[in-house]
Amino acid sequence: MAQPRISAYLPPDIDPTKAPLAFGRRALPKLNEELQSPELLTQQRALMALCDLVHDPEKVYQAIALGFLDNLKTLLVHHDQIVRQKTTEVLSIMALHSIGRQGLIQSGVISALTGLLDDPVDICRKNTHQIIDMMAKLPEGAGGVLRANLIPPLVLKLKTELDEIQELILDTLSNCLRVEVSEALAAGAVTVLKEKLSHSSTVIRSKAAWVLLEISSHAEGKIAVCKEGVIPLLVSLLEDTQPEVQVNTTGALMFAAVTPQGRSSAMGAEAIPPLLKLVAEETSKARLNAIKTLTLLAELPEGRQTLLDHRDTFQRCLDDPSEAVQRAAQIAITVIEWKP
Amino acid sequence: PSTPEVKKQRKAQKKSLARKLTQEQIQPGTPEPVEGREHVYVQTELYLEEISDRVIEVDGECQTDEFLDRPPTPLFIPAKTGKDVDTQIEEGELFDFDIEVKPILEVLIGKTVEQALLEVMEEEELAQLWSHQRAFAELRNAEFAELQRLEEQDRRIREEKERRRLEHLEKLRKQKETAEKVAARAFAQRYLADLIPSVFNNLHASGFFYDPIERDIETDFLPWLMSEVEETLQKKVLGRMMLDSLIRMVVEKRLEEFSRPPPSDQTGAPAEEPTATDAAPQESEADAADQPDAEQEETDQPVAEE
Repeated sequence: MAQPRISAYLPPDIDPTKAPLAFGRRALPKLNEELQSPELLTQQRALMALCDLVHDPEKVYQAIALGFLDNLKTLLVHHDQIVRQKTTEVLSIMALHSIGRQGLIQSGVISALTGLLDDPVDICRKNTHQIIDMMAKLPEGAGGVLRANLIPPLVLKLKTELDEIQELILDTLSNCLRVEVSEALAAGAVTVLKEKLSHSSTVIRSKAAWVLLEISSHAEGKIAVCKEGVIPLLVSLLEDTQPEVQVNTTGALMFAAVTPQGRSSAMGAEAIPPLLKLVAEETSKARLNAIKTLTLLAELPEGRQTLLDHRDTFQRCLDDPSEAVQRAAQIAITVIEWKP
Repeated sequence: PSTPEVKKQRKAQKKSLARKLTQEQIQPGTPEPVEGREHVYVQTELYLEEISDRVIEVDGECQTDEFLDRPPTPLFIPAKTGKDVDTQIEEGELFDFDIEVKPILEVLIGKTVEQALLEVMEEEELAQLWSHQRAFAELRNAEFAELQRLEEQDRRIREEKERRRLEHLEKLRKQKETAEKVAARAFAQRYLADLIPSVFNNLHASGFFYDPIERDIETDFLPWLMSEVEETLQKKVLGRMMLDSLIRMVVEKRLEEFSRPPPSDQTGAPAEEPTATDAAPQESEADAADQPDAEQEETDQPVAEE
């Protein structure tokens, strides 16, 4: 009987795990139908093919216009782990494109992802966190994440997850907490982050410091940070050798020192010598933040006294190529020399 | 088999059975033999025939001679016509592989490298965007911190000003209160200067100040005295009354006695009686005399006390 397959041997460059693609514009609609088929193998092969297609932005646009996202949402809760893994991979690649992100926000995929946070398979969870991370970089995405009440589970996961996933969670949290911080504080984020500050991995330490920075840029965050006694830890981290950690730590101290309690606890933890060292280094990235923190500390009388002896350090900062550093140094000198 | 077919079969069977029965019934048979006789089948043909079921058979056979198989037909090769010519492509005559493959290779490698370059450029662009974003975030954070610092400063200054203002108001209030207090005190002192004498005068006039001894004497002593005096007087009156009644009794008895003729033997008795009565009145007189004396003494005593 005549069949479309001529020989029993498949052509050498075809991947048997992928569904064959229809030609041209018909490819995606056909994949859409295959995704809804009751047979497991068809669904898996369609997903594999879709994974490869989604790298192209035009295909993403077409896919969203065809309504792929609803099918993918139903597949997120499939019992087979390969289906779930591939679905999350497709969604994470879609989230890399701006159109994909918009489509994901509009179709409410974020709330569907809440169930996947506890998935037993590592890759599924990693992809899920990648999706959430990418979404949180957009302001609307961050709002969507907050509305889906994802922050308390994320803070809980921070304690138990693998390192790579922790990095993703920390990124997500830093973007979301820039907007609103009360939910995270209620879930005890500051305590968890305090532990992470002493983690062995540099990336996790710097990201944890970044999240603390975002938390302490809000008023209630500052109060929580002072209460939990994170400031001495941050001061001890100032001596860390990695520049990213230093930058983020000085930033966090800068925000925390705005309140009087923060300022006094920073003085109590003797933050001035390490900060001066950071300011004196010409190529340190943390210079700007360190100058700002010292400006804040100089508003206290004891701080002013100590810093009056180090005025020449700030004078040297006035020659820095970056304009922001120059301005900050100028302001710092003004504050130090102020008499009541 | 469906029910209509089964029904048809049954009907057909019934029909055949019915036909058989009828045929058997319809078929006329020879009548039964008479008694003592027997029916026998006999052939009435000219020539008798042996009738039996088995047909007489005779076997016969024939055989062909042994021959060889027919050999296969030889292939028909038509006779050759025309001339023989042959040709052969030697190596290097059709095309030069190295030259021809160059454009193809160029395209292949070029596309691959272009794709790779694009990806690398994308990555670099992405990294640049990230670093740009980081720098912006840092600047923003620094500015934000500055803003918060200035806000904080402003708040502190405002608070300080507010506190000082409140303190000043408090001070003014206290001063005013003190001045008022002093004025009130002076006025009150003056007003109350002659209060005390007038008060005392009033009280004195309304009898609130009294000499306690005088009062005591007035309230306790005098009533007692009066009651005692009354008692004494009452006793006196009682005594006088007693005396009066005694005298009356005596007088009545004497009258009685004096109105009776005094018998001689009755003199002793009446002498005794009068002595008794004399003794009694004497006693009563003595008593009465004592009593007035006592009364006199009593009245003397209170008078002396007075």
